[in-house]
Amino acid sequence: MELLLFFVILILSLGAGLLLQWWPSRHHPMPTYPQRAPFLGGGLPDTHAWSRFHVRYYPMALLLIAFEMEMMFMYPWAVVYVAQGMKAVMEMGMFLAILSVGILYGWREGVFRWQ
Amino acid sequence: MILDQLVWPLALVLAALVLGPYLLAVLDGLVARGLGLTRGPGLWLAPLRRGAWWLIQHTNVTEAPDGRAWRLAPALYLALAAGGLALVPWSRAWVATDIATSLVLWGSIEALATVVIFLQGWSANTHLTLVGAYRYVALGLSYILVSMFVLIGVALPAESLALTQVIISQQELWNVLRQPLGLPLFLIVGLAITFRGPFNLADSTDLAGGTSADVSGAQRLVWEFARSAMLVAFSGIATAAFLGGWLGPWLPGPLWVAFKMLAVLALLAWLGPAFARLTPEHCVSLMWVVLLPLAFVDLIWAGVEALS
Repeated sequence: MELLLFFVILILSLGAGLLLQWWPSRHHPMPTYPQRAPFLGGGLPDTHAWSRFHVRYYPMALLLIAFEMEMMFMYPWAVVYVAQGMKAVMEMGMFLAILSVGILYGWREGVFRWQ
Repeated sequence: MILDQLVWPLALVLAALVLGPYLLAVLDGLVARGLGLTRGPGLWLAPLRRGAWWLIQHTNVTEAPDGRAWRLAPALYLALAAGGLALVPWSRAWVATDIATSLVLWGSIEALATVVIFLQGWSANTHLTLVGAYRYVALGLSYILVSMFVLIGVALPAESLALTQVIISQQELWNVLRQPLGLPLFLIVGLAITFRGPFNLADSTDLAGGTSADVSGAQRLVWEFARSAMLVAFSGIATAAFLGGWLGPWLPGPLWVAFKMLAVLALLAWLGPAFARLTPEHCVSLMWVVLLPLAFVDLIWAGVEALS
């Protein structure tokens, strides 16, 4: 029942979003090609948008994955935390401490500041 | 039964989805006036006028866009915002999606928002939009951990991942006082997920509009609307997680939720223009080196408090 309403809300809003984009402009002609040139803040489009970008935060993304894995353990951990008491504190404390060393190492290696 | 479980929650979610972004635009206008950024009449009409202009404007396209994905991205962003609003409990009985894992579902909405915002920048197939999209991914990968640690913190005393249980656990003391670091950290996440103010890396002016540089017309309207709707959904989750949701004297629960959401929105509307924008590298460093350890501290605080 709850998930039914969730999907109803998702589909309603998705449909409204698509309809609102399609309906007002359904009779508009396509803009001419000079008009379709990319807006580059006044610059001329002298390179292709498919030129290779170097995204310099791969190590940071890897660090994120380590924490996301930890997150998966953390959801059930949060539910039984009060029942388990001190044992749960120690377990997650050790886990977080090990992962925090990763942050410190990444920080030293300049993972969060790319040029 | 049907009325309580389906009709009222659906009506409240849709009302918040439509009215929320408008009220946020009005609040933005108020803040802009207060800071002396704009003048002139039409505080209440200006957002409607802007929306109507976007609606009737001819939509421009780029030379070779990924057309379907370009149309889909704003609609999906709106759907994610609506999904977030569906999780907000309006009262003990009126919750659109009252599942045992609503905090996890909200986390997945935050993660998917990164994908959708990247899709918006990607599918225009131009430089500046793509740069904005890549910048946003750097931010999105950084804030999501802060957000989830803070939300796990509110799940600890509730012994549950359901937002209704989180609210019930705040009957004695709201989480905003019990875990004082939680709400400020979560507000930063709210600014980041809708790329506003200091965290506006995706649509910033140095990229001539970033992911929305080549977006116009009704498509732009849906994009900006979805962005505001996401902030409204975020304020609903913040209300439930930290401000006691429907709890409050005299007035009925849904009114309290609406007041608290408006208060969070007003605070966020003021925080946006009040701080300077960060560069992407500084932003990522700040998130990982300062805010994430602060989120750890918040979690430890919440844990100690829950056991004592």
